Amino acid sequence: MSLVTMTGISGALAFLLSIGATGGRGFFERYYNSLFWLNALVATVLVAVIVVSGMRLLWQVKRGMFGSRLLLKLAGIFALVGVVPGVLIYTVSYQFVNRSIESWFDVRLASALEAGLNLGRSTLDSMVADLSQRTHDAAERMANGTSSQPQLLALERLREQLSARTVALVGSSGQVLLASGGDMRSLTPDRPSTRLMRQARDSGAASELEGLEDDAQAVQGLARIRALALIPGGGALSLVPGGAELRLGQAGSSGGERYLMVVQRIPASVLANALAVQTASSEYQQRALERDGLRRMYLGTLTLVLVLAVFAALLLAVTLGNQLARPLLVLADGVRQVARGDLSAKAALSAKDELSGLTRSFADMTEQLAEARGMVEQSVSQLESARTHLQTILDNLTAGVIVFEADGRISSANQGASSILHQPALRGLTLDKVPGLQDIAETVLQRFEQHEAEEGTDHWQDTFELQLRAGGDPLTLLVRGATLPQRARLMVFDDITDVVSAQRSAAWSEVARRLAHEIKNPLTPIQLSAERLQHKLEAKLEGADQSMLTRAVGTIVNQVQAMKQLVNEFRDYARLPSAKLKPLDLNALVSEVLTLYAEAQEKGHLTAQLEPEAERIVGDASQLRQVIHNLVQNALDAVQDSPDGHVVLRTEQSYSPEGDPRSVRLVITDNGPGFAEKVLKRAFEPYVTTKTKGTGLGLAVVKKIADEHGARIRLANLHGPENAGSEGSPSVTGAQVSLSFSKLATAADAGNSRSSPLES
Amino acid sequence: MACVLGLLMALIPLALAEGVELQQLSTQRSEDGLSLSYSAKFELPPSADDALLKGVPIYFVVETTVLRNRWYWRDARVARASRSWRLAWQPLTRQYKVSSGGLNQSYATLTEALASIRDIAGWRIAELREIEDSGSYYLEFAFRLDTSQLPRPMQIGLGAPQGWGLSIERSLPLNPDFSIKP
Repeated sequence: MSLVTMTGISGALAFLLSIGATGGRGFFERYYNSLFWLNALVATVLVAVIVVSGMRLLWQVKRGMFGSRLLLKLAGIFALVGVVPGVLIYTVSYQFVNRSIESWFDVRLASALEAGLNLGRSTLDSMVADLSQRTHDAAERMANGTSSQPQLLALERLREQLSARTVALVGSSGQVLLASGGDMRSLTPDRPSTRLMRQARDSGAASELEGLEDDAQAVQGLARIRALALIPGGGALSLVPGGAELRLGQAGSSGGERYLMVVQRIPASVLANALAVQTASSEYQQRALERDGLRRMYLGTLTLVLVLAVFAALLLAVTLGNQLARPLLVLADGVRQVARGDLSAKAALSAKDELSGLTRSFADMTEQLAEARGMVEQSVSQLESARTHLQTILDNLTAGVIVFEADGRISSANQGASSILHQPALRGLTLDKVPGLQDIAETVLQRFEQHEAEEGTDHWQDTFELQLRAGGDPLTLLVRGATLPQRARLMVFDDITDVVSAQRSAAWSEVARRLAHEIKNPLTPIQLSAERLQHKLEAKLEGADQSMLTRAVGTIVNQVQAMKQLVNEFRDYARLPSAKLKPLDLNALVSEVLTLYAEAQEKGHLTAQLEPEAERIVGDASQLRQVIHNLVQNALDAVQDSPDGHVVLRTEQSYSPEGDPRSVRLVITDNGPGFAEKVLKRAFEPYVTTKTKGTGLGLAVVKKIADEHGARIRLANLHGPENAGSEGSPSVTGAQVSLSFSKLATAADAGNSRSSPLES
Repeated sequence: MACVLGLLMALIPLALAEGVELQQLSTQRSEDGLSLSYSAKFELPPSADDALLKGVPIYFVVETTVLRNRWYWRDARVARASRSWRLAWQPLTRQYKVSSGGLNQSYATLTEALASIRDIAGWRIAELREIEDSGSYYLEFAFRLDTSQLPRPMQIGLGAPQGWGLSIERSLPLNPDFSIKP
């Protein structure tokens, strides 16, 4: 683009230079045609360039390319600014040139000049004619007059009469015979021209103007009128008084003709004026001749300059428009990108003007914006991760967390809350609408209000007993409340039922230990005293007294024994020795214990089904023996009232899906009345029993031992298959206790103790 | 050499004539040098006639150049001569004035005035010493109406279409005795 601009400018410059060079040797005139075509060529190229760029711009506008409208507008403005003054100046100049050239040519001036020329011409003509006439007259007078005067004197007188410069007698061939006056520069006057001679011979007299070839010399006096007249009868004329000359003259003039020649100067003033008029007239006519050429030259020059200037202006307009629009386009493009959300680095121009500065500022701004957004995103993601973190913690808390809004509705609750309350959807409910919580809702609300009124502590804490399901176990909840901002309330609660149960167990074992200790101490003296009484008094008594003593002592001793056993059981429960775990064969242990129940086995009340493939387990043989004993005894107790009571003792081996041995189970089943629902929940707490006799410590001890062995104990009632689908409480067909030992003896341990299955 | 000359001659346009007919052209070598005589026949173009009557002086130029053929370089220009005439109309005296050099002559009619331009006899165009070198010479002769001395505005767009073209150019080989080859 700039190249074309340069071309245009140089073309215009060349043109202007050529105009400036017109002072020289007519360079412009000579090469006018070449220049014209050169400029026309440049103009054509410019037109082509402008048309092409204009089309391109229009195409871009039509296609909606970004920034093309701005460019078009700018180019249009610049073009208008450039073209309008040019066209205006051109129009004015065109008119001006036309008018001024026309004004040079005036009909009246032309006719005046013509008239002046005619005047001069006729003046000269009349002078010529006059001289011719006077010469003719003088010649006639000379021929007629018999003047006695010598010829030379007569010529001199004639010269004075005619006020001529030279008067001469000329022979027939034009030679000067006798002259009076004449040019100072030459001795003899010039000969008349042959043309003049011939005219004079033909018509008697002739005259002509001479010396007008050079204007300057003419004014200095060279211009003259030469008149020649034939002297009639010139042959007889004697020229000089002397005969010799006459003869000579006669001899010389063979034709015999004599002419009178008169040369008269033209007055310098007349001549000068006439010449001035002639010069002016010819200049005027020349100019008239040049008129078309001049007009063509001026107007052609003007038009070409206009065309070049306009095109150069258009090109400049496009270029300037481009330059001006560029920062704006960069800026607008950047704004569009930012509006789309693209905050990447923006282009900036390095020029020093304000628009380029604007692009730089915009780039800086965008960068800062991008940084700010990055920071915001970072903090949002941090917040998000913190929230997720918190949520994970909340979800994995066993404690229930419930947040209430200001109006009392639950805005959020964690999984712990749902699982404790057995309510999957808590959100949106108020506390008194949650099933099972109606009882404590009022209290909790009161506690919140009380706490908010106190303003001292940051939370309140309380324990509630809840009956979630009718007939179910009561739930013990430890509830803690705190207020959150915006009048929201936080309630955190824990299911401490197990804790309470454990506390109860601990308390019982303590009580049992102390009681056993306190009770056991006096038992031995009591027994010894009773036996001593029998020993001392038995011999002294007789008959009924003796038997009564024996019975009474026997009763005392028996009861003391029973009490001792009871106390020992208490002691065992409270202070079981820590288990010494060694590999052992559960089947062998079961068989050993069952030898004690040979009677029941013989009666068919007790059967054993032992799994021969059972793995060896790790355990304390004496404690496990007690467990088996307790469980078998419990089962037999449960079925003792029914004649067809039956207890089955099984060992089972369970395998993992991969086929590896996982655990060994000991299952004791009876067909007695089963466990009461209440016992099932708290069977392992001391003194919970369905039996008419017994301490109620059996299952508690079993539980304790099982815990020590890492074994899982399950109590369940067996139900008849026919009643499986019936509503209400299905009929119980028996009870089952299962113990599963997952601590199996490893191969090494097994190898060590295979020889002795039962230690201790 | 002749071959080269012939080639050269073939390349040089023999005659460019526009409104002028050359009736006679001859050269003669004398003791003074080379002299040329010619006689041209032409009529003044109407537009030139018109301009003449409006007071515009018209110039005629005759130029001769004697060149020596050189096969190895541009032909050497050995002599050059030119003569110009100024023909003007004097409305005051109704005479045509012909100026050539310092000489002025007036003529009552255009024919007379042109006659003085048409013919030249014995115009010395080269000194004897200039044509002493041996070799073949040729003569370039040009006669034309000189438009470059017209008033400038009139020169714009002057050319044949405007009826101002009046010229003749000849290139003529010279014999060893410097007469024009037939």
